[in-house]
Amino acid sequence: MPGVIAILCRCCGQIEPEVDLQALRERIGREAGVVSVEVLDSLCLPEDGAAIVQAVESSGADRILLAACSPYGKAGDVVSALCARGIDRSRVRLIDIREGCAWIHRGDRTGATAKACDLLCMGLGFLQYGGCSTDAVVAVRPECLVAGAGSAGLAAAVSIARAGFQVHLVERAAEGGGMLRLISRVYPTDVEAAEKLRPYLEEVERNPRIVFHPKTRVVSATGFAGDFKVRLASATGDVNVRVGAVILATGAGVWLPRGLYRYGELKEVLTLMELERRQREGKTAAKRSVFIQCAGARCPERPYCATMCCPSSIKNAVLFRKADPDAEVTILHRDIMTPGHILERYYRSALDAGVRFIRFDPAQPPVVSGDGHVEHVEVFDAISGVKREIETDQVILSTPLVANTDNAKLAELFHVPLDGYGFFREDYPLHPLETRQGGIFICGSARWPVSSTEAATQGEGAAMKALAILGREKLSARSMSRLPEGKLGHARIEDSSCSGCGNCVAVCPYEACTLQRMGGAFVSRANKMRCRACGSCTAVCPNGTVQMPEHNARAVGAMIRRAFAEGDAG
Amino acid sequence: MNAQEIVDKTTRGTPRVLVFACRWCALVGADAAGRGKADLPASFRVIPVECAAMVEPDSVLRAYAGGADGVAVLGCHLGGCRFNDANHVALKRMEALGDLLDTVGIGRRRLLLSFGTAHEGRQFAEVLGTFFRELTPLPSLEGWRKTLLNQPSFR
Repeated sequence: MPGVIAILCRCCGQIEPEVDLQALRERIGREAGVVSVEVLDSLCLPEDGAAIVQAVESSGADRILLAACSPYGKAGDVVSALCARGIDRSRVRLIDIREGCAWIHRGDRTGATAKACDLLCMGLGFLQYGGCSTDAVVAVRPECLVAGAGSAGLAAAVSIARAGFQVHLVERAAEGGGMLRLISRVYPTDVEAAEKLRPYLEEVERNPRIVFHPKTRVVSATGFAGDFKVRLASATGDVNVRVGAVILATGAGVWLPRGLYRYGELKEVLTLMELERRQREGKTAAKRSVFIQCAGARCPERPYCATMCCPSSIKNAVLFRKADPDAEVTILHRDIMTPGHILERYYRSALDAGVRFIRFDPAQPPVVSGDGHVEHVEVFDAISGVKREIETDQVILSTPLVANTDNAKLAELFHVPLDGYGFFREDYPLHPLETRQGGIFICGSARWPVSSTEAATQGEGAAMKALAILGREKLSARSMSRLPEGKLGHARIEDSSCSGCGNCVAVCPYEACTLQRMGGAFVSRANKMRCRACGSCTAVCPNGTVQMPEHNARAVGAMIRRAFAEGDAG
Repeated sequence: MNAQEIVDKTTRGTPRVLVFACRWCALVGADAAGRGKADLPASFRVIPVECAAMVEPDSVLRAYAGGADGVAVLGCHLGGCRFNDANHVALKRMEALGDLLDTVGIGRRRLLLSFGTAHEGRQFAEVLGTFFRELTPLPSLEGWRKTLLNQPSFR
């Protein structure tokens, strides 16, 4: 006979001083649907674990109500052990009568017993209506799409190809390399950028598993982790690919400081990127140079530090000094940002190389003067409190990296969020390189401005995360959770009663709900692979059409109805 | 509805509180409060939820109808939600529910919204203790409840 078996734990005498377990046993035994009530000494002991299974089998009950300690205590393990023995998770309800009752209501035996009774009745109500979601399984496409062939994208593509999976490497330019194509050398090793790039580009050319799509853009994307359908457009025609994971490595963009420090007016005022180009082309450096840091960074419009500008300026300043020992190089800075022991040593080496550092106050920024060409820079030295006038031939503005303008389009296509500055937003704080959508990863400066070395590291990290999906043959919807206990379930929508209002579509944090046309009307559909079971949709559905079977409205309603029943009677 | 019934001042001891606790923060706090043997009135019940965004406004109203004097919705920090900021939306939703509670005469004082303040046992006990103190002088909802339950459309 199907019914509920209630198993009460004495917890070796921890519960009984406050809760009258005998009274509770008699009271629960009278509830409809309860076939048996057992009181055991301690559920977490091995012999009692066996006793539970025996009691369940002999009573013939199909649902189990456990009253023990909190799910964060041993009772959670007891439930897991029961589930491991083949009992469905939705058929077990754990009621916390130790931490949640006996231990916090000391000296109120009547109240605590009434509460324990109510909690058990709530559990019974829940077991009566609680359901179980059906799982969905998709076959994983053993291919990966990497958007952007800069340091991060190349590192990601190479890692995945070496692991034995097909990679589609998409690049909007004609050649791979990204930002490394624009700069001369890479800090802190001072290796030439082309030198650093060569092994990656060779591997892309040589490895048959990497399909390079130059001058190509992503134009549409549908699907979910394990099976994305992406359309790539180029001058030679469109290509459709089906991939299991997507890595967005679109890099960052450069920003032009128009109107700042007379940039655009005096031709000797350069940005760091323009200086890099000159360095790469081997143009001789000027005798006297002044770098101005934080040009357009750490200001109200871009309140962030782009992290790569201080080391880049230091790199170029030292290169100037090495090329010409008589060169006068000054770096005007607000704070030198060189974190970590390697970059700090890099900064110290610049001091040793004779680079002059002057700190200025953002309230009194330097002033570039000159008529027709740069003559000198006036700066108020914030450390010594002296106004200095530095004669110079050129001024280099350290401008920050800004978000790639393509990010907005990609974010829309892949349903991933951007941060306030247009960079891709990570699933902060516990899931680095992941976005809120399963199977879509971000790395490099598309995520946040980083150096090429860090970008490559992140690219490999993102590749490892993608391989965790690609390496599986099948992916179940239940596994699409980043939470340790797995996913509660999936939202279920009844077609027959859905009015197509779109509330769930608006509120879903993962864009799992979408409106689809069915007959003449719209109905909402929930994608099980994208759903993370937060239940937002169930809270906004006007007629209860969207339900989380594990936590449905009838079960919650039954719990609420019985929440204070015994308290009233007593 | 009889005005006298609404302001039914029968004293019934401690108020009854239904707590919807997000299992990523407030439920951990409740657990820690238990392990720390905090001293709390026995007249509250906790319903664990996956996320504060899961709490239907309807459930909160049902709780008042079902005998609760106060309802607490406890979620994670705004900005620390496990479900991609679903709790921001939950806060807005519950604030709107507060307007409704004011309109129907229950009053938003009976709805405790707290995000990121009940992670630890001590905090959980404090938040609930304060709520109990605020609820104690408020009149009983019995009159309102009787009127509501007599309406055929309910339940």
